[in-house]
Amino acid sequence: MSDTEPTDEGNDELIEQVAGAYRPRARDELRYHPAWHDLDEAGRERAYELARSLRTLEAALDPDGLSTTAHAVLARIR
Amino acid sequence: MSDLDFLHARIAAGDADAFGQWLAGAEPRVRGSLASFARALDVEAVLQEALVRLWQVAPRFVPDGKPDALIRFAIRIARNLAVSELRRTRSRPVEPADLEADLAVDVPAPDPLLRQAIVDCRDKLPPKPRQALDARLAAAGSRDDDELAASVNMKLNTFLQNFTRARQLLAACLGKRGIVVEMP
Repeated sequence: MSDTEPTDEGNDELIEQVAGAYRPRARDELRYHPAWHDLDEAGRERAYELARSLRTLEAALDPDGLSTTAHAVLARIR
Repeated sequence: MSDLDFLHARIAAGDADAFGQWLAGAEPRVRGSLASFARALDVEAVLQEALVRLWQVAPRFVPDGKPDALIRFAIRIARNLAVSELRRTRSRPVEPADLEADLAVDVPAPDPLLRQAIVDCRDKLPPKPRQALDARLAAAGSRDDDELAASVNMKLNTFLQNFTRARQLLAACLGKRGIVVEMP
């Protein structure tokens, strides 16, 4: 999809950050990645698709088959 | 897809290891069910919160006897949370038909050969991209990229560029083995 191509290097870096599993910790509310707000809709969709691909790779590289998302969730409940 | 409901009793009893085992199989499908929200919400934030809430209510969940009851329940929690968030942020609504369609999302589990190929390709990465990739994996979502960059003595943009290079090289290496990994 051509409309989801990055427009510049800065946008690529924002997408790369949002595609990671890190999210600020908070009680009883959703905490978005700060860089998410700086992306347009196409960038947000691209970050989502990138995250899907990355989690597959991460799980394959993890001895327990867990992605960084799964590890982040487990850290919150333990 | 294998049914993960055999883990429910242990999860309901508070066994976090069992929940981890369930997450390994279920996460892609729950994430996939949120695809239609990707332009309006930070899906990663919604997904993580939904999975924490699932853990909290799992002891009270009663399976309906059909396959993948816990995954379907997780998808409903995630979808309801996403819809609530859309309302809170006054974003555009998602059509009800989409809700039902996304419940049917299916994601195949990675096979052992794919796992080994990814590990082999990771081991061939140049030092700096490998360092960035390893830092992200080791942090497992607990530290932001500013911190990770500092921890490996890189500037943020250098760290992110090395991480991008790592995943691109991984995808290219896998491509040479006939394994197509979508890297948007």
